Amino acid sequence: MSTNVTIQHGEEINNSTGVSAKKLLMWTFLGSDVMFFGTFIATFMAYRNKSLVGPYPEDTLNIPITSVSTFVLLMSSLGIVLALHYLKEARMGLAKFWLLMVIIMGIGFIGFQIYEFSHFANMGMTPQVNLFGSTFFTLTSLHGAHVSLGILWLIFLLINEYRGNLNSENAIDLEIAGLYWHFVDIVWIVIFALLYLITANDGVPPGGIPWIGGH
Amino acid sequence: MDWWALNYGGNMSLLKDLFFYQGNKWWKIPETTELSENPKNEHPFGGFLEKAKNILLILSSGKGHAGPVYYWIIAAILGIITLIEVWWFTVPELRYMLAPAMLIFSIIKFALVVAFFMHLRFDHKMFSTIFITCMVVGILFFSVFLLLSAFHGLGT
Repeated sequence: MSTNVTIQHGEEINNSTGVSAKKLLMWTFLGSDVMFFGTFIATFMAYRNKSLVGPYPEDTLNIPITSVSTFVLLMSSLGIVLALHYLKEARMGLAKFWLLMVIIMGIGFIGFQIYEFSHFANMGMTPQVNLFGSTFFTLTSLHGAHVSLGILWLIFLLINEYRGNLNSENAIDLEIAGLYWHFVDIVWIVIFALLYLITANDGVPPGGIPWIGGH
Repeated sequence: MDWWALNYGGNMSLLKDLFFYQGNKWWKIPETTELSENPKNEHPFGGFLEKAKNILLILSSGKGHAGPVYYWIIAAILGIITLIEVWWFTVPELRYMLAPAMLIFSIIKFALVVAFFMHLRFDHKMFSTIFITCMVVGILFFSVFLLLSAFHGLGT
């Protein structure tokens, strides 16, 4: 089989697909991750309003705080495309600045999530207390784990950038990490709409016991 | 010669290009007869979409690839949609439409991030095919699971 050797973003393309193998691998992984998160979101929606004991979404979810964290994550997506753009143009100062900003925003998002989880725990909402708690914590903490992994990845890239190992020649490495980061962002877009905005007004379902407060 | 000079000779404003039909009349419906072929962009907006696409090309520095201005615009749109979502949530009169509205808004945000931030719009079709196929399969399973749970319950 004949192969064409080309260079895309500093990566030699010498396979029969004609596209970057790293990028192809990342898109395939993201495709599988869509189904992974889809399963947990479907489970959450299937069990929506099925908890017979509290606390219920209307007792716990804090939309203003989550809106801020959502905005922070959205803006981190802007940060990473800017970092990649400047890296490709070999404007290293701006590339480092935006990559650092993305890491800070990612840590900020995780900070919001830690605050939210501890607030819920103080109220008496834990994964084992009811169906809402189980499905909510499973999905949001899996997402949080993805964000945390992304932060570690970006810190590693930033260190490489400072050492001079990441530059316009191998910008594909940041592009791959960027794809992962954007994916984490789009998953949160769906989670914010379904788990928070649509669910936040759900109260006691038929047959449920009204919640009278935490521990 | 850069893209702008090549296409516009460097002297046509963005506004004119967006709203003029063939560069000389505002909002003009092209004159046609039954014998003539259908003219290109035959509608009152004079090829608004085609020209809007050109504006995007200009914003992306003529490279057919997004640039920083473009990214800031997409981010602003994402921020505004999020604000509208939160506002919608706070208005009790709009609550009956909450679920469909949130789904539509999140689909728009999702599409914007995937198409422009993830460069899927500008990238190789193979990536779109892989991602969209997985999305379709995921949504299919999602729908079947929800339908089954609605009709048969989940043993709660």
